[in-house]
Amino acid sequence: MWLPPATPSYPGALYLACWFAGGVLLAFLVLPLVALALTQSGASLAGVARMVDVRDAIVLSLEAAFLSAAAAAVVGVPLAYALARTAFPGKGIVAALVDLPLAVPHTVAGIALLLVFGRQGVLGEPLQTFVGLKFWGTIAGVVVAMLFVSAPYTVNAARIGFEAVDPQLEKIARTLGLNPWRTFMRITLPLARRSIMTGVTLTYARSISEFGAVVILVYYPMTAPVKIYELFLRFGLEQSAAAAVLLLIVSLSLFVLLRTLAQRGGVPQENR
Amino acid sequence: MSASLAVEALTLTLGAFRLNQIDFALARGEILVILGPNGAGKSVTLETIAGFHRPDSGRVLIGGSEVTALPPERRNIGFVVQNFGLFPHLTVAQNVAIARRSDRAIAVPDSTFPAHGDPAALLSYFGVAHLAKRMPAALSPGEKQRVALARALASVPDVFLFDEPFSALDADMREQLREELNTFLRALAIPAILVTHDRGDAIALADKIMVLRDGAVVQSGAATEVFRKPISSFVARFVGVENVLPGRIVETTENGISIEVGKQIVGAARGQSMPAGRPIVVSIHAEDVAVSLPEGERQKSAINRFAGRVTAMRRAGALVTIAIDCGFPLRAFLLGPQVREMGLDVGSGVAVQIAPEAVHIMAD
Repeated sequence: MWLPPATPSYPGALYLACWFAGGVLLAFLVLPLVALALTQSGASLAGVARMVDVRDAIVLSLEAAFLSAAAAAVVGVPLAYALARTAFPGKGIVAALVDLPLAVPHTVAGIALLLVFGRQGVLGEPLQTFVGLKFWGTIAGVVVAMLFVSAPYTVNAARIGFEAVDPQLEKIARTLGLNPWRTFMRITLPLARRSIMTGVTLTYARSISEFGAVVILVYYPMTAPVKIYELFLRFGLEQSAAAAVLLLIVSLSLFVLLRTLAQRGGVPQENR
Repeated sequence: MSASLAVEALTLTLGAFRLNQIDFALARGEILVILGPNGAGKSVTLETIAGFHRPDSGRVLIGGSEVTALPPERRNIGFVVQNFGLFPHLTVAQNVAIARRSDRAIAVPDSTFPAHGDPAALLSYFGVAHLAKRMPAALSPGEKQRVALARALASVPDVFLFDEPFSALDADMREQLREELNTFLRALAIPAILVTHDRGDAIALADKIMVLRDGAVVQSGAATEVFRKPISSFVARFVGVENVLPGRIVETTENGISIEVGKQIVGAARGQSMPAGRPIVVSIHAEDVAVSLPEGERQKSAINRFAGRVTAMRRAGALVTIAIDCGFPLRAFLLGPQVREMGLDVGSGVAVQIAPEAVHIMAD
């Protein structure tokens, strides 16, 4: 930790106080995870990793979170661009709608989703009848639950990214002979890429960690958080802690990997 | 020959803003500078010509054909903006190569110019071929301008539009880059419109000047005309006339017009007859004011020769701006050596003389 020299003209004492307060928060965030990790030996982790149902649950979580992040990118990025570049009455309401899932308790979200995608849901029933797409007992249901609670991260980050792209650059591209679609693909999207990737990564991370909405909409097949909850209820702390550490290791390493990829090859910002 | 660019009765409503009946035409190689305060509609005019706003009425013609209904990508326009707008995620070469190639050629007087818009040849023409692999953030403002011009020319434009390209630069860099731009534009003879609120840009570049205020044209014409004969004190101040003074018509005779300005009577060359007593505004360029030392009684009767006193001096480079009280406040230019020779300082007595032809009368 670097501390500036405490000269009178330099607010060294201020920084010191900030680092102290911030240090409390950092410790609060890291300590429980370290404590959890320390409960496990390599052998106990290997043991839980050999359990087929735990492995299946982790794989399902990764797959569903990937699909959720991909779906958020496909429908969320266009919404973000529309919000960044167009003005219309009620724009504030639309922006608030995007944030709504962040304010809804996830169990409430799960019940609401059940009404739409459940067996008798307004979409669930016709989709099952006509397309054969089923949201109960399938990965599709898991993805729907994850997407609902995590899509705002992609939309908001992408919107900030698009808003930071100078509209003059898009205009120049048009005068150079690029139509609006090519302008978006060649100029706008690459310039907002870093923000979009950050948002998609957050959506992915939030999807993996989702429990409440998933457990109500789709109890089976079990995602990793649901499986850990089940182990906790049936076998207590010891069994569930081992699975928890395993999930922690897998999801953290993926998160770090994705973050690194998202930040790589970024656009050098021009001095303004 | 038909105009290279013509704008006819262009009217546009944009929220609460209204652009009203904009009319002008540019011939090959002409440079029009649009001047005006913020919010006058300068950029909106430019963007409407480029195709980013649909006008309520009126027409835009580029190279003789109407483009009013065409999208920007089909108007053959070179667009250069503040800080030159290079794409920051692309190298210099990629910036130029992204332009849609045209099978047309630009007819340019300069035979060394790559008329078909070949990107590598364009970078060479502007002397920036060695920067091809650089990212824009690593370029100086001068290099950015050259790359921006090369890029705009790659799509073989019929007209150049510049939207305050220099407004983020310091004064020295600004002057240097507009000289360079002037050289390139004169060599290429592509008509250009430059929007600015800096009259220095207009002095350096303009063949024609259009002054906008609140979405309407206040004055439009040859640059010398607008500089010498501003239509109102608003235009006079905007194009930088140093002396804009309220006055009152005393009488109009066949020799000229007498105007009461401050405590003096100033004579102006005969123009249209004006009723005595009418309030007007006169504009006098500082360079038209001759300053000399007081010489006793000699020449005292000469027209527009007034005794005065120096109230302030400001030095800018070799030029010294002298503020004089001669019954009304007047500013004049002298060169540094002249000021020393005459031994002038604040408080010194001087005599000033203004040719009647240099006194321009405006209604308001």
